[in-house]
Amino acid sequence: MHTATVDHGAHSAHGHDDHAHHESSWLETYVFCQDHKTIAKQFLITGMFWGVVGGLLSVLFRLQLGWPNETFPVLETFLGKWAEGGKISNEFYLSLVTMHGTILVFFVLTGGLSGTFSNLLIPYQIGARDMASGFMNMLSYWFFFTASVIMFASFFVQTGAASGGWTAYPPLNGMRLEAVNKGSMLGFDLWALSMTLFVVSSLLGSLNYVATIMNLRTKGMNMLRLPLTIWAFLFTAVLGILSFPALLAGVSLLEFDRLLGTSFYLNQIVINGNLLDYKGGSPVLFQHLFWFLGHPEVYIIILPAMGIVSEVLSTHARKPIFGYRAMVVSMMAIVIISFLVWAHHMFVTGLNPNLAAVFVLFTLLIAVPSAIKVFNWIGTIWKGSIRLTTPMLFAIGFVSMFISGGLTGLMLGNSSIDIQLHDTYFVVAHFHIVMGVAGFFGMFAGVYHWFPRMYGRYMNETLGYIHFYITLIGGYAIFFPMHFMTGLPRRYYSFSNFDTFSSFDSLVVFISVAAIIVFLAQILFIVNFFYSIFKGRKLEGEYNNPWGGNTLEWTAPVARLHGNWPGDIPAVHRWPYDYSVNGREFTPQTTPLAPGEEEHK
Amino acid sequence: MGEDKYLNELKSTTEYTGVHPQKFALWLGMASMTMFFAALTSAMILKKGDFQSWENFRLPTVFMYGTAAIVLVSVLMHAALVAYRKASFSTFRALLTAGFLMAIVFLYCQYIGWSAMNAIGKSITGNISGQFVFLISYLHGFHIMIGLIVTLFFLFFAFRDRKNPVYEMNNTVNPKRLLHMELLVSFWHFIDIVWIYLYLFFYFNYQ
Repeated sequence: MHTATVDHGAHSAHGHDDHAHHESSWLETYVFCQDHKTIAKQFLITGMFWGVVGGLLSVLFRLQLGWPNETFPVLETFLGKWAEGGKISNEFYLSLVTMHGTILVFFVLTGGLSGTFSNLLIPYQIGARDMASGFMNMLSYWFFFTASVIMFASFFVQTGAASGGWTAYPPLNGMRLEAVNKGSMLGFDLWALSMTLFVVSSLLGSLNYVATIMNLRTKGMNMLRLPLTIWAFLFTAVLGILSFPALLAGVSLLEFDRLLGTSFYLNQIVINGNLLDYKGGSPVLFQHLFWFLGHPEVYIIILPAMGIVSEVLSTHARKPIFGYRAMVVSMMAIVIISFLVWAHHMFVTGLNPNLAAVFVLFTLLIAVPSAIKVFNWIGTIWKGSIRLTTPMLFAIGFVSMFISGGLTGLMLGNSSIDIQLHDTYFVVAHFHIVMGVAGFFGMFAGVYHWFPRMYGRYMNETLGYIHFYITLIGGYAIFFPMHFMTGLPRRYYSFSNFDTFSSFDSLVVFISVAAIIVFLAQILFIVNFFYSIFKGRKLEGEYNNPWGGNTLEWTAPVARLHGNWPGDIPAVHRWPYDYSVNGREFTPQTTPLAPGEEEHK
Repeated sequence: MGEDKYLNELKSTTEYTGVHPQKFALWLGMASMTMFFAALTSAMILKKGDFQSWENFRLPTVFMYGTAAIVLVSVLMHAALVAYRKASFSTFRALLTAGFLMAIVFLYCQYIGWSAMNAIGKSITGNISGQFVFLISYLHGFHIMIGLIVTLFFLFFAFRDRKNPVYEMNNTVNPKRLLHMELLVSFWHFIDIVWIYLYLFFYFNYQ
């Protein structure tokens, strides 16, 4: 059996040479591992698996939407009763959209994105041996993994996976009634169980991230010397700690209604002419609890991507980040305001218009820190020595997507417009661009940028370029036309029975073709990723800094080493964005200030 | 008990904030649990505003006895920690056991309280005002169960090695064990305070 030297007991700040080493089994090294680097890879690979599954689901429902009257016999081979005669059933269609949303929002863009990069970068970039608690970190991944297994298993139960929307609104999901909604049976129970475990995983991870950042920074690494990635992960973790419990509370009430017969969310439900024994509940209560998490969740997705993009733009433009403090304050403002905007998802629930006005105000207010960040990213690359590497392309793509999606956010934040556009494809376009595609672009930028740090090799740049351009053009091709489909309701199985929607037919087909192409383009990324792990161009030398970065992760040896640095952890003497200053292309944070040199303020 | 070697190294090599990272993580966990119960009680306030469906009732008195029991849990657990710090291990074992048993008494009081609720017609499927008491006290009870399971491990280790000659020395010079005790007792204090808040919340909302 393969063995490796790993110390699991003493972590954090010990001099590495002091460690009492013991031989670890293969299982301890690669499966139940407590090393942050391995856990980051575990999150990444699991996230990639979910990315493929979530993308495949979208291809399936785009087939149905694009060609509602066609049959695809091959589908029956794989999907059986859910696609009899080669046509996706309406029940399965609803499961597809529900699970697509759940998987992409939580399992890819939260677990996959934040889980990967928080784990990889926090100890490296703050100068720590590992997380505050390696054991809790390991538990965080295995809760995520178990949640993943349960969510995936829900596809295979007789009544199908959850189908009442990723938002799990009652009353559709508040009762176990097969006659109403097959997905409300065991499929939804598994969904709720999986989400509960997911929240536990997220909380374990977040507690660890904050405790590590606040307590284990290396000498000299004061808060204003932290890279923006770390600030982003810190704020993301705080958001998760404070908002995920509301979802847990909401789902707890939901499961009480479903399994114990309470009526927190149910009131006077009539099924087939029979009045059910529920009274006094309110489905709007669930929406309040759900969106108290749901809106911060948008920022839980996008903040890590923002941090990654800030780092990549500065490094590859060879310019200091523009407005570092403004970037930090903007993120802080986004975190605070994100807790005060949840009801902008509920303008059509009969919300008091005066109350709605307050939520409109805060929603529009959040555009201010968001815009500051956009201006600062543009300011960062303005007149820089831009290197159009793959990570840089994806980072620029992120900014483009964030602007495009953000502008429609201003429209939807206004209640009088939102009420007209609610539940139409305009909303689908907005949130897919601003947090879906943008979130993916941030994630891709991070993977291409830190792949050499993770595996000691480069990813193939040519494949990376092709991947980027197809994804960028394809992403816009899918979602930009949706802005013009303002009358088209989302979640419909087919529009062919409504003459009024026939004007959108060719556009719907165009979108479906674009979605399939974009999905296929992601195969390039996956092939590139796995091929490069084994056959990619190797980094040269024992220490390597492929992009000329200033942050501490590039000072650690390429070889996998528990504790990250042999000997002492390097001390920090300056902020992380000294690019092209004092005649030097880059100046690592470990470089002491020269006599007379002043640190960037 | 002298400074831990680990902590000394932590201070010399990092921007040390003075709080052990694991203790800090527990505090954050408490913030998260606070949000959980805040969400539940907020939901109740929201529903109480709906006068058409809300039926008031008087909370069974036994919940007050349970509250007294949980205050005692905190006192006993804290006393156990003090005894541990003073290396009075036999006292420590007795107090930890008493705290553990008192937490079971608390759960028993909750059970009697739920039965009393049923007796006055406030079942879990009855009026929504009663449903909230069941829901919130069940979920709080779940946290108590977690505390009991973890305490059981502590009891197991406290009793397992008590006749081992190096037991006392091990405990005296092992700050990691002290840290774990502090974490356990902090958790008990927290979850006890949560119940006191919940009891007062119910008491004043069900007048």
